[in-house]
Amino acid sequence: MIDMDKLVDIEKSTQSKQVFWDQGVYDRELERIFGRCWLFLAHESQLQKTGDFFTTKMGEDSVIVVRHTDGSLKAFINSCTHRGNSVCTADSGNTRSFVCNYHGWVYSTDGSLVDVPLKERCYHDDIDMSAMSLPSIRVESYRGFVFGCFDETAPSLVDFLGDWGWYLDTWMVGAGEGAELIGPPSKSILKCNWKVPAENFVGDGYHVGWTHASALEMLGGELGGLAGNRANMPFDELGIQVTTRHGHGFGVIDHAGIGIHDKREGYAKFLQETQPGVAEKLGQPRAELYDGHWNCTTFPNCSFLYGTNIFKVWHPRGPHEIEVWSWVIVHKDMDEDTKKEVVKQAIRSFGTAGTLESDDGDNMVNSTRNNQGRHTRKNTMDSRMGVGHEGPHPDYPGIVGSSFIGETSYRGFYRFYQEIMSADSWDAIRAKDEQWADCFPNKDYWKDRLAAKAKAKGGE
Amino acid sequence: MHNTEAKDRVSMQLHYDVSQHYYQEATLLQEREYQTWLETFIAEDIHYWMPVTERRYAKDKRAEPSPNDMAIINDDYDELKQRVDRLGTGTVWMEDPPSSVRFLLSNIEVFHTDKEDEFVVRCNFITTRHRGQLERSQHVGGRVDLLRKTESGYRLVRRKIVLDARVTEDKNLYIFF
Repeated sequence: MIDMDKLVDIEKSTQSKQVFWDQGVYDRELERIFGRCWLFLAHESQLQKTGDFFTTKMGEDSVIVVRHTDGSLKAFINSCTHRGNSVCTADSGNTRSFVCNYHGWVYSTDGSLVDVPLKERCYHDDIDMSAMSLPSIRVESYRGFVFGCFDETAPSLVDFLGDWGWYLDTWMVGAGEGAELIGPPSKSILKCNWKVPAENFVGDGYHVGWTHASALEMLGGELGGLAGNRANMPFDELGIQVTTRHGHGFGVIDHAGIGIHDKREGYAKFLQETQPGVAEKLGQPRAELYDGHWNCTTFPNCSFLYGTNIFKVWHPRGPHEIEVWSWVIVHKDMDEDTKKEVVKQAIRSFGTAGTLESDDGDNMVNSTRNNQGRHTRKNTMDSRMGVGHEGPHPDYPGIVGSSFIGETSYRGFYRFYQEIMSADSWDAIRAKDEQWADCFPNKDYWKDRLAAKAKAKGGE
Repeated sequence: MHNTEAKDRVSMQLHYDVSQHYYQEATLLQEREYQTWLETFIAEDIHYWMPVTERRYAKDKRAEPSPNDMAIINDDYDELKQRVDRLGTGTVWMEDPPSSVRFLLSNIEVFHTDKEDEFVVRCNFITTRHRGQLERSQHVGGRVDLLRKTESGYRLVRRKIVLDARVTEDKNLYIFF
């Protein structure tokens, strides 16, 4: 039996190295995390016309998402209910039906079985086709981002995102028509546990200066000062970190959204022109975040960098390997030239051949691979940076950490990881909705800090 | 952007010259002489491009990827220069100790174009990268280049790199092809 209290020690802010290695832990993750959480599938802009489909994965399950004839989005498992072969082998396209290559069974775009060859002569009409649809998956969209969930008892997508949706609206609603993704995704293999990049994106502002020293030095700009951690910067004044109820979280470097973009005139102008509209529509706190650089993970495995605008899904392939899928985020209101510029800049930095992307891979692989050592994985990993320097904030929901460099959202990610891995049901998780933030006990952190700041300002 | 059409095949002598140029390029990259490669082999109007190619059904009539679409690499001279310059910063931890990258080029075909001094060159490649103790990757594909003959030798004007694999079996593609 897996004892989650031993694998994640909330009080000490440590995790057992087994969480990056053990098959038993991974099997439970597929069941309890990938089987119960909302997982990113596609963006609606890829699925506009009736019959538009996209094939993807949920955990290790192959899944089709498609625009049905009634206009709704459907998702189902890509495995024939006869003998299990795939019913779709293309990445994307447009179709009226899905035909299995094995025996020719035909499914409609809602997953229902509509034709079985030789049904009268060989099945003697003794087959209930209505009971043999492709297993369906719940589908819901948030601001055009389509997610799927295997669990009928899971909360709605909006409730699953919770306060994280409030933050996402900053750019998914923004000032105008919102955002979309540019694909098709590039895909690559990384031999690491899926949580290594997920935790890195959710809250690792710390690695930026060191891991990415070479790229930052070459790029210069707003983030150039971080290179090699040489600059003396007031980190507590440059951004925040946030974790929310279901482990989603992010860190933001204030006003550094386009810091990684080299050719950026169009994007800079777009942000500048639309920021007042965000303040008007969503209020000043979110307008402040709008031109920041965000590193984010939507629990469990969907990560993105808003600003740099790369959007990634980490599809697990066993405990020690993932498939990395990368899209680019653009605002729908951008002109075509600016969209193209953003796509070019995003892939140049964090695409498969990106100048910054290539800095991260080794760290993620080695942080996984070292745990092959039996004695290595008897030890724990540490995420205590900034403990106590975090709490509820008057303007920002969730638990807010003091700086973009800290491990508040690591702790929040593993807090929920432990909870969902331990819980028998979503009801057990819902029962703790009021207490989830108890492990962040410094409730007055922001009250005190903002009061001290106001006082200092008054004394000037 | 890649509309320069290949015309007749070039003479044996010209094919030999271009082939030797390509082997020299491979040698420079294998020896990590990236700066020299950039300065002596690359034209300032370079477009260096690796598209993302989906697996689509044969009946799918959507257009082939263009340089305006999602890509893996889509560099002009400045961007290619940054890739090279980054490797000279001394803080690329992944390249210390350095990777061993090897380029195997074959099926080199050289064609005239409408312009006397420009040639379309197609070839196939296998690029391998070995790192650390056991890490190895292999990338197979084809290149379509536009090569310009100048007073200081051949310069690469366009390079389209098409990988055969849909999913890259490597941690990144920070490799010059």
